[in-house]
Amino acid sequence: MGAMKLNERSVAHYALSDSPADHTGFLRTWGGPGTPPTPSGTGRRCWFVLKGNLLFSFESRESRAPLSLVVLEGCTVELAEAPVSEEFAFAIRFDAPGVRPHLLAADGPAAQEAWVKALSRASFGYMRLVVRELESQLRDARHSLALHRHSSWKAAGGHCKPQAPDHRSLGLENGHSPSKDCSPMDLVEERGSRPAGQGLAEWQGPASHFLGRRQSPSFPETSYFSTLHNWYGQEIMELRQRWLQRVWGSQPEREKQDGP
Amino acid sequence: MRYNEKELQALSRQPAELAAELGMRGPKKGSVLKRRLVKLVVNFLFYFRTDEAEPVGALLLERCRVTQEEPSGFSISFMEDPERKYHFECCSEEQCQEWMGALRRASYEFMRRSLIFYRNEIQKMTGKDPLEQFGISEEARFQLGGLKA
Repeated sequence: MGAMKLNERSVAHYALSDSPADHTGFLRTWGGPGTPPTPSGTGRRCWFVLKGNLLFSFESRESRAPLSLVVLEGCTVELAEAPVSEEFAFAIRFDAPGVRPHLLAADGPAAQEAWVKALSRASFGYMRLVVRELESQLRDARHSLALHRHSSWKAAGGHCKPQAPDHRSLGLENGHSPSKDCSPMDLVEERGSRPAGQGLAEWQGPASHFLGRRQSPSFPETSYFSTLHNWYGQEIMELRQRWLQRVWGSQPEREKQDGP
Repeated sequence: MRYNEKELQALSRQPAELAAELGMRGPKKGSVLKRRLVKLVVNFLFYFRTDEAEPVGALLLERCRVTQEEPSGFSISFMEDPERKYHFECCSEEQCQEWMGALRRASYEFMRRSLIFYRNEIQKMTGKDPLEQFGISEEARFQLGGLKA
């Protein structure tokens, strides 16, 4: 297909795999990549599957290979005037010059609306925006929780300085390496006092069913982040217990604090 | 499978998450290492001859496996044939780690899983669905299972 290479076999495999589809349905298509408009102008009816920012078409629901791929980046989706007074039509228009718009038509107004909505939100950037928003919300929620506990310990006159680590360095951003001077990170890396496996086992139960494929290379990173979460919760509880022990005089000397 | 090459070429010109000149070797037996400008844009890895404006090729990164091969080298392979590897050579271990990390995060599926995880965590902590305020809590892409194709 032209001079530029693409890992087509892998792309087709992905299209057919059980990875989540964001929208599916029959659409009529005209003048998409490589397709001449049909003589009668009613378009070619294909089965469309939207996965993330990739729109695949198939001849039928049972097809074993995709007919076409449209990458939904740098484009806008809008209602369109179809050829031959076709109702429920919409177009994918590309910002880049020289790239033909992709014209499609649904079977009814509800399908048309659903497709336009789904395609408008299909870009990688949109998903990334939402992820970052939730990341920062989670950070804030944990920060508030830690502060709340910090103030309640302080008020009770505890000797133990509670750990209120900088949440930014907890590695909440997926895949980012944690900063070295954050104590929870040191402990996790040491693995001496707390087997990471324990946290992992805890998490694998409820979370694994929605975190999907084990063989994904990104799986370890997500589990690491989740392990931190579980570990952090445990750490708070243990610190609190040690503080309580000191207050009630069961320990003759201060334990070495875990910390930076 | 038909796709619009111009579309992909335009995408290759978009701001990259990461770009560098690396050594690259294709999956075929007997492939030679070549210098390529490698550019990560959304969930695609484009590679260019160092003096050309249009990419030689692109790799969709969904369901890819990134493996360290040497201290400063890694490979990318795909689910349907894990032994068929695209090899990359970096100039340092640090650069290698940087690329491997970026590539593992560079899939739509990875973002989706992260989002679902965060959503659940926030819900557990605050009792509220964080997506409701945006009016997008019912969107298929944010659900646990999505739609089955």
